[in-house]
Amino acid sequence: MKSGERELVILDQLSLEVERGESVAIVGSSGAGKSTLLGLLAGLDTPTAGELELFGQSLRALDEDGRAALRAGRVGFVFQNFQLLPTLTAMENVMLPLELAPRQDVAAKSRYWLTRVGLEARLDHLPKQLSGGEQQRVAVARAFVGDPDLVFADEPTGNLDEETGKRIIDLLFTLNRESGTTLILVTHDLSLARRCDRCLTLEGGTLKTVEQRHGAEA
Amino acid sequence: MNLILLSLKGLRRDLRAADVRALFLALMLAVAATTMIGFFLDRLERGLTRQAGQLMGGDLVLEQGDPFAESLRTTLRDAGLTLSDQVDLVSMVSQADAFQPAGLKVVDAQYPLYGTVQVNRGNGIESLAQGPVAGEVWIAPRLARLLEVGLGDRVQVGSLKLPVTGLIEREPDQQAGFAGLAPRVMLNQADLAATGLVRPGSRIEYELLARGSPAAIDSLQDELDRLRTAGVEIRDVRVDRPGLGRSLERAQKYLSLAGLAAVLLAGVAVAMATRRYVDRHLDTAALLRCFGASQRQLGQLFAWQLAWLGIVAAVVGALLGLAGQAALLALLVRFLPLELPAPGMLPWAMGVLTALAVLVGFAGPTLLRLKRVSALKVLRRELDPIPAAGWIVVAMASAVFGALLWLYSGDLWLSLGILLGGLVALVGLWGVGRGLLSLLLAALSRLPSGSERSRAWQLGGRQLSRRRAASLGQLLAFSVTFAAMAIIALVRGDLLTTWQAQLPADTPNYFAINIQPHEREGVESLIERGADSASGLYPMVRGRLTAIDGIAPAEKVPEAHRSDGALRRDLNLTWRAELPAGNRLTAGRWFDQDTWGDGESDGPVPISVEEELAGRLGLSLGDTLTFTIGSDSVTGRVTSLRHLDWESFQPNFFIIFPPGALEAFGHSYITAFHLPADNEDWLGELVRDYPGVSLLNVEALLEQVRGILGQVTRAVEFVLGFVLLAGISVLYAALTASRPVRAHEGALLRVFGAGNRTLVRMQWAEFALLGFASGLLGAALAEAAAVGIYAWLGLVPTLHVVMWLVMPLAGALIIGTIGFLLSRGARRRSPMASLRLLGET
Repeated sequence: MKSGERELVILDQLSLEVERGESVAIVGSSGAGKSTLLGLLAGLDTPTAGELELFGQSLRALDEDGRAALRAGRVGFVFQNFQLLPTLTAMENVMLPLELAPRQDVAAKSRYWLTRVGLEARLDHLPKQLSGGEQQRVAVARAFVGDPDLVFADEPTGNLDEETGKRIIDLLFTLNRESGTTLILVTHDLSLARRCDRCLTLEGGTLKTVEQRHGAEA
Repeated sequence: MNLILLSLKGLRRDLRAADVRALFLALMLAVAATTMIGFFLDRLERGLTRQAGQLMGGDLVLEQGDPFAESLRTTLRDAGLTLSDQVDLVSMVSQADAFQPAGLKVVDAQYPLYGTVQVNRGNGIESLAQGPVAGEVWIAPRLARLLEVGLGDRVQVGSLKLPVTGLIEREPDQQAGFAGLAPRVMLNQADLAATGLVRPGSRIEYELLARGSPAAIDSLQDELDRLRTAGVEIRDVRVDRPGLGRSLERAQKYLSLAGLAAVLLAGVAVAMATRRYVDRHLDTAALLRCFGASQRQLGQLFAWQLAWLGIVAAVVGALLGLAGQAALLALLVRFLPLELPAPGMLPWAMGVLTALAVLVGFAGPTLLRLKRVSALKVLRRELDPIPAAGWIVVAMASAVFGALLWLYSGDLWLSLGILLGGLVALVGLWGVGRGLLSLLLAALSRLPSGSERSRAWQLGGRQLSRRRAASLGQLLAFSVTFAAMAIIALVRGDLLTTWQAQLPADTPNYFAINIQPHEREGVESLIERGADSASGLYPMVRGRLTAIDGIAPAEKVPEAHRSDGALRRDLNLTWRAELPAGNRLTAGRWFDQDTWGDGESDGPVPISVEEELAGRLGLSLGDTLTFTIGSDSVTGRVTSLRHLDWESFQPNFFIIFPPGALEAFGHSYITAFHLPADNEDWLGELVRDYPGVSLLNVEALLEQVRGILGQVTRAVEFVLGFVLLAGISVLYAALTASRPVRAHEGALLRVFGAGNRTLVRMQWAEFALLGFASGLLGAALAEAAAVGIYAWLGLVPTLHVVMWLVMPLAGALIIGTIGFLLSRGARRRSPMASLRLLGET
């Protein structure tokens, strides 16, 4: 996979395949292009050249709306700085992705997931009334509420202290395992990355396998 | 000093930001509107006073039955007034066997103090700033026709035979009164004595006309009061301005109202834009705090930044205003061919003051938030200072707007009233707005959720309700905006309709008076044949009011009105069974069989009195009035008061009797009719067959009134355009302020898989719902406010059904479209870029 834009080449000569149910970590130093790669993988951005497939479908063939439709209900996200809407309560933030398509039990599902992340008492709180860890837990609940096939996590602990970060990661992995979701985790934290099935490092725009436990290729 | 430079630098870097542009636009429009209207009204006022002075013959007119004393002249001259003497009397003028009553106007060398006489001296019509020289007369063309004389022929005036050297087309001080309805003869003062017409007992009016500054006239008030009590009739141009009266007063009020509406709208825009401005600068402020800036310094820095913005906006706005008033004046110049003084400094100062006041009032409390930023915010982003409480923002803005209202209207109580009314309306609006939003959302949730379209509506509605506080704030701002725009548009429409209704195309342009009872049928049929509209014939009996409740009026009437013209002259009385068209009862009952009886019962007859006269003379229902008619008298009891429109160009009467009370007295008839322009032959026929009937052509006056109203109409529309622009600036500012929140939301929704089409529909639905609710609320507000404003303007309140239909739809369309366009940029970016742009990913 290649992405070049004028003189700036962020990702180059890069190929990666992820299996269903797998958890993959992408590590790299700041500015290595981890988040850019994640954005491309999720179809949030388009590469200037190269081929990308999501759920077996080529992203190149799809326009913005097509890519959005592909994501709808199948992909969850956890961002470094949570990306909660400040004017919505915890409950409303979690409900938001479900409301895009007609679904039953939106409120019940959201409440269930917020309970799973231990926030059953904070349903009606606005993001600014929650601590950083709590906000990220809302984000985790939001990522899983739609029973996604794939969850992207971009430095999920980047804005949290070590203790809180560890708890969020535990939560993330537990939920991932229980739901059988594919997880793609972008982080600069190697110890965190080692908990994934596969760990890749992004350097100079290319990926290298760091550790291989269940057979993956780079 | 350093801070000032820093603030300038900061502002320069900020100029690209949408909120700063919105702030600038709003302030500029507010200043442009107020200075334009300020400049314009100032000059219009001065121009009209000048014109009224011309119609009256001077800024101050004194009138009495005897010559004025030399000592009085000295006093007036010493005060700085230029004087001109004039004598009016009615006398027979003859040529050979033909005799005609004529209105003699004897003028001196100063005549006319204002304007020019249009006269034909054999070389076509000339405009001359003088009257005839001694030994000559100028006469009206009609008199020339009646006497069958031409230029150079001699006419007999009293015991003098004078050559006619001019035919008067138009006198500058020609008024549509009925006193001097006989055709005009103008002669020089030097000839008056020789005519032998000034004899003891002859009815002569001596007038002393004065031209001078208002200050000069004001310095004479004591002397003038003394003269009034002595029975001198005094007309001051600023008080007794003839002519346009209420129509123009309404227009002026309308323009002031529109100016204030523009200021209010700009204020709302400033308040909305400032919120975004402050949000955007919280990080900068925190960083500066980290670097060691004190709260004071922070406050000063941002205050200076906005002050620069305000000053530049004010200057640009004032220049725009200046250009605007020049355009307005250009529209009027045909009707006010006057040398107007250059625009003064005052509107400039007012413009800058307005801009700064709007900034302080509408942006100040919000801006204070920047001061309170904690340095720790640099590390903990969530540490935002609490926004200023809503009531503080509203209170501050109200105080400033109230002060501006007071400044512009000069009326403290009116300003307080408007302000309190506005605040009550705002609180009410808050409650109603909440209810309305909930209602709309409840309605939406009942939509079947199957189709994508109805889902978009539901999603949009849900977004709206979840940002309840912000949505409600926007709803209020938009409702006020729509209401202000609607009021200005509504009033404009009703003002124009009123004017058009007041002077339709067939408004009478001729009055015929002195129609004798035996001529009545003939004249009536003649008019029916030649005129395209007529008022019908009104009988007219001249009588003098000699007693009120049996007491002499001089003792009974309030002191201030004892020299009222109505007491010193004969009044025109009429009788009529129905209320004349254009009259409106304001108290009591019109004559019917119960009150009027069969005309045979004893005791006072019922009469109807014009309300303003009743007010001046202190009359109320039940009072009895005694009129002396010739050697007889008749007494009536006031059973109704009437409002009538003096600008209607219809015969109007102070006192109306029921049929049966006055027929026995000598009377003539009066009528008004509209003669098409091409029917001069018919006029000749009327003049020939009924030489005794006096005709008064008011076409020129009518044209003048129509012309000025037409021009003021354009001015009103011009100003309406400004208010609408100011309204759009509010919408722009408000939607700009909420753009980041919506962009964030849109980007996240796309990350979750919402397609562009869903997003477009959802955002469109959200804006449209907001617009719909705002339009509905705005219509309610406008309708409520219109009741008060219409009373203030003297218009009849009506229910504006169309507005109720149009405003919600127009609101949905306008807000939907602006919102759609503003969020277009965010939709075009990839979701990744949107999130990154927000400084998040």
